[in-house]
Amino acid sequence: MKHLFSIILLVHFFTLSLFGVDATLKIETDVEHRSRIALVDGSPVKNAQVFKILLSDLKISGHFIPDTTHHEGDVTSNLILPGLKGKEYVLKYSMKQTSGAKLFIRLLKASDGTQVFKKSYAVPARSKMPFLLHKAISDVNNILKYPSISWINRYVVYAIYTTPGRSEIRLADYTMTYKKTIIKGGLNLFPKWADAKQRAIYYTSYKELIPTLYKLNIYNGSKQKIASSQGMMVCSDVSKDGSKILLTMAPEGQADIFEMNVGSKSKRRVTNFKGIDVNGRYIDNESRIVFVSNRLGYPNIFKKSITSAATSQVVYRGRKNNACDAHGNKIVYSSRESNNAFGKNTFNLYLATSGSSSTRPITTRGTNQFPRFSADGSVVLYLKQTGYSTSIGYINLTSSQSLLFPYNGKKIQSIDW
Amino acid sequence: MTHTLLTLTAVIALFLSGCGQTAPDLNGSNNNISDANAISGDTVSIDESNYGNESSGSYNSSADGFRSVYFDFGDYTISSEMENAMNNNIKVAMSSSSKIKIEGNCDEFGTDEYNYALGLKRAKAVKDSLVSQGIASDKTVIVSFGESSPVCTEPNDSCYDRNRRVDLRLVK
Repeated sequence: MKHLFSIILLVHFFTLSLFGVDATLKIETDVEHRSRIALVDGSPVKNAQVFKILLSDLKISGHFIPDTTHHEGDVTSNLILPGLKGKEYVLKYSMKQTSGAKLFIRLLKASDGTQVFKKSYAVPARSKMPFLLHKAISDVNNILKYPSISWINRYVVYAIYTTPGRSEIRLADYTMTYKKTIIKGGLNLFPKWADAKQRAIYYTSYKELIPTLYKLNIYNGSKQKIASSQGMMVCSDVSKDGSKILLTMAPEGQADIFEMNVGSKSKRRVTNFKGIDVNGRYIDNESRIVFVSNRLGYPNIFKKSITSAATSQVVYRGRKNNACDAHGNKIVYSSRESNNAFGKNTFNLYLATSGSSSTRPITTRGTNQFPRFSADGSVVLYLKQTGYSTSIGYINLTSSQSLLFPYNGKKIQSIDW
Repeated sequence: MTHTLLTLTAVIALFLSGCGQTAPDLNGSNNNISDANAISGDTVSIDESNYGNESSGSYNSSADGFRSVYFDFGDYTISSEMENAMNNNIKVAMSSSSKIKIEGNCDEFGTDEYNYALGLKRAKAVKDSLVSQGIASDKTVIVSFGESSPVCTEPNDSCYDRNRRVDLRLVK
């Protein structure tokens, strides 16, 4: 009996030490354990662009170590090429782009060819082919029980300057392979997603005497006038449930941050400073904001409660910190680190948190601007210029994996994800 | 006996640890994965070419007898070199009954919202100067165009100088 009791105690001890510690440990293990995976193209017409997008999706997820060789093979066969048996998984795919875009994928265990998952995808518009690929990799990621990477399925919305006084607002997939102009002509700037499902955007129109904020449903075209202000009018952030927005307005000629209840249209002034207060972003469960202000004589990052007046400095390094984004209590900001009055300057991105004064660089060279967190805060999008080339960059903050996609279009005014 | 106990304990613990792993669903049938319908919907294409600013160039400067006011890099104070231009603008403003639109502009080196706020500060400086000379505040409206409306797009200093400006015109 005494021995039986000892056995029960010992088993209890072992199981506690195996499973009790481990909710957190398991999550970390999942993220740190990256699966070795190879792509095998079974498409009737092989397409390097399709392969490249799949490869990018796997890389930026931070959950896979993809084989960079474009292998070919029969998508219906369970045969695994001898050279790929050392991987953990083989993803076989077939893309047809004859009428619309159709994708078929099969995820196989590399060791024995067992099928783990298969699925077909289709869209009528061929141009949306990249979204099928993103969706497929996102599904493969979920099947293998990695943390979600659903951000790769989202639209990026951005404004570009076309000619002096004119602009366009466009949609793209995160790789900028798919691009579509949704508003052309006129001067329409600062597009911002209005809801988590990306069905509507806010944007600033200059077609009236003073800047006016509209909300546009991008599927049915219905448009609603939200607010206008002389001076400037920008929707800087949208609350998680979409019921509140942060606006930069200048009703008396000074740029300040206001919070608006979208339903009632009531506004609350959040900052009141004679200089420049712009770029408000919700932090800390939307109880506070971070923003850019020149209250110390140069642009820097500050935070304040929505309801009280006390304002505190967030960043103590750099004297030209002129743009920021936030997610939860994480803050990413761009800092000008050279002093050329004209020409290209070095801008780097830094990561900070609302509760600490420590910062860490996430870029080290070139001009890095327009930082934007993904919807889950795990990845930062930014615009990178080195020499004469411009790219849209992504940094996965968990895996430190980064990717650049060439951008050859006109100058980007603002971007949201 | 102790040996037997330890071995038995290790076997049970290993068995339990094996139970903790979740195997992937091999059929792929019970996965809560949405299809691609979410991205198949058509998005709008809106053409606002008939709205917005008039043709570039002629619009992007002062009109109706006003003169543009120029600013130093990153600055929004009216310099003494701009006094003649401002004296002219005060005269034109006083002689007109129309509302005056004061537009702040920047060079291309700012980013995001901060550059628009800088353009706004320039427009506000010109407005305050007019108001201090007796022009009614409600006879003016200020708008910042940031870096969106350059008069010059060449990559040189004199071009950048011409873009850091405030334009004035009558609202018609």
